[in-house]
Amino acid sequence: MITAGVDVGAKTVKIVVLRDREVVATAKDLSGFDQAKVASELLAQALEKANVTQGDLAGICSTGAGRKIVSEATHSVTEVSAGAKGSLFINPDVRTVIDVGAEEGRAIRCTEKGKVEDFAVNEKCAAGSGAFTESMARALEVDVAELGKLSLGSDASVPMNAQCAVFAESEVVSLLHAETPKQDISKAIHDAIASRITSMARRIGLNKEVLVIGGVALNVGFIRSLNEAIEMDVIVADDPEFVNALGAALIAAERAN
Amino acid sequence: MFSKFEEWYRDRHDYARAWKEKSSGKVFGCFCSYVPEEILVAANILPVRVLGSHEPQDVTEPHLFGMFCPFCRDVLAQGLKGRYEYLDGITLAQSCIHLRQAYRSWEQHVDQPFSYYLPHPMSVQSPAAVPYLREELENYKKAVEEFTGSKITNDDLDRGIRILNENREAMHELYKHRIGPEPKLSGKEAMWVTVSSTWIDKEEHTAEIRRVLKLIEEREMDRECGAKLMFVGSENDDIEFINMVESVGATVVVDDHCTGTRYFWNSTADDMNDRIEAIAKRYVERPACPSKDHPVRTRFPHILKLAKDFDVQGVILIQQKFCDPHEADMVPLRKYLEENDIPCLFLEFDVTVPLGPFRIRVEAFLEMVGEEDLF
Repeated sequence: MITAGVDVGAKTVKIVVLRDREVVATAKDLSGFDQAKVASELLAQALEKANVTQGDLAGICSTGAGRKIVSEATHSVTEVSAGAKGSLFINPDVRTVIDVGAEEGRAIRCTEKGKVEDFAVNEKCAAGSGAFTESMARALEVDVAELGKLSLGSDASVPMNAQCAVFAESEVVSLLHAETPKQDISKAIHDAIASRITSMARRIGLNKEVLVIGGVALNVGFIRSLNEAIEMDVIVADDPEFVNALGAALIAAERAN
Repeated sequence: MFSKFEEWYRDRHDYARAWKEKSSGKVFGCFCSYVPEEILVAANILPVRVLGSHEPQDVTEPHLFGMFCPFCRDVLAQGLKGRYEYLDGITLAQSCIHLRQAYRSWEQHVDQPFSYYLPHPMSVQSPAAVPYLREELENYKKAVEEFTGSKITNDDLDRGIRILNENREAMHELYKHRIGPEPKLSGKEAMWVTVSSTWIDKEEHTAEIRRVLKLIEEREMDRECGAKLMFVGSENDDIEFINMVESVGATVVVDDHCTGTRYFWNSTADDMNDRIEAIAKRYVERPACPSKDHPVRTRFPHILKLAKDFDVQGVILIQQKFCDPHEADMVPLRKYLEENDIPCLFLEFDVTVPLGPFRIRVEAFLEMVGEEDLF
């Protein structure tokens, strides 16, 4: 059976094509202004990579903030259910999923069957999300991909208030004026995000194993700070950005049965 | 079927102005649902609950500190913008300091012929609560009499008690139609009814409920019921939000709000010789606002009973930002409900609510409570 999962996120669209629960193709692109068009074109690309046509698909499940605009979708689920589903598929021992995307941070507690028991989403401010790391990288004048690595060179603990992304940026500017080394500031930024995400995850209860998904999982500085904050070693998913799309494709397969 | 209530909900100020012109009576603005409306109705006064308008505003900043709740700021904004210019008086029954601050500011900055701060027992579980409130209600009655120039007799009080009780009874009958696999009305329709009851002439409102009750048995909602939910929180008159929740596969079947069940759930005894004591007893014994619900949290088992009686699959905990009394209950209440197998979704409300992000959370919650279908 072939199915596809389409995750229309705040910043990027991700597609996973599954054949008999094996990933046969993935695709990713910026969401852009016309998300529906991007999703359609990207789906066509992924299907071409998998060497199948839309007619071969038993189902297409959409997820993500823009999931309702995917006209090809036969099903639709929220990123909470998709994230839990995809995470349990990757590692059946996972009981807590931390999903940090471009604009939202989420924590999901689930059972051994992938049933969502509880979840929490960051409130209103982007201070616990990828957009925050991007704005902080701009303030430090480093590439966002370098921000995480930079923080690994620091063991300092510089307190920083990340309740608001805009105020946090002015804190970074103050630290720069105080001639705080960039690597220490970078560490402070990741500590602040990790603390915010941990606080949210503690609200629902942190149970082992903890899997981190979403684009920010690729940030090594964030993962180190997160390990310290939650006082356990998290597992980082391979291709963490695609886990929700994977979960959606799995749900499409289950629905088709 | 509910269009009259919708109209009343929407055109609240037009209604009050028209009522005043028609009846030549006085209209009082009530801050908080603890204002004893029986006494006002006995004095031929129309009690009108003062609520906000859910619009961003920029007029309260000089008067209220930023940490005061959005609801009390929204309420004060209505006064400062002159939207309640038809009021002849205002009354605050003490519950939380946020609304008291809004009331005091309103008193200072909005021209009002009558203003009364009604001390109300915070320890309603104390044996002294009823005698204390009884005395305060006597003082309030005297103040109202002086203002109107008319004595409030026992017959007047009996009428006030009867009119309020009849409305409460009709509301209960209506709520019974929200029980069962196929509720006869949506949460949005129920919200039009309950919220409008806080400012419409009670006899007129009761007559309209009675008209609906004659027809409702035959009614079928024009959509699937979906997951049955309960709302719990302070005041909630947010039609946009409930509409969104019900548009994604749910029906709200019961609530614990001071603009909902807490407002009408219990009646005033109509067989006590001391009418004022009967009224005091009613307000002391009603389902409590968390500001008064201590040392024992009596509202927890009450909320659980409502959730079970109305067979809800989940509860949405609606937290007005900075509402301290509800914040104090939020952590243990959530724990209590979840220990009793009632899943909860917590959402923090401001004057306006972000419907997009909230929609995703509500949808995820609905997937969670109805997962047999999904997994």
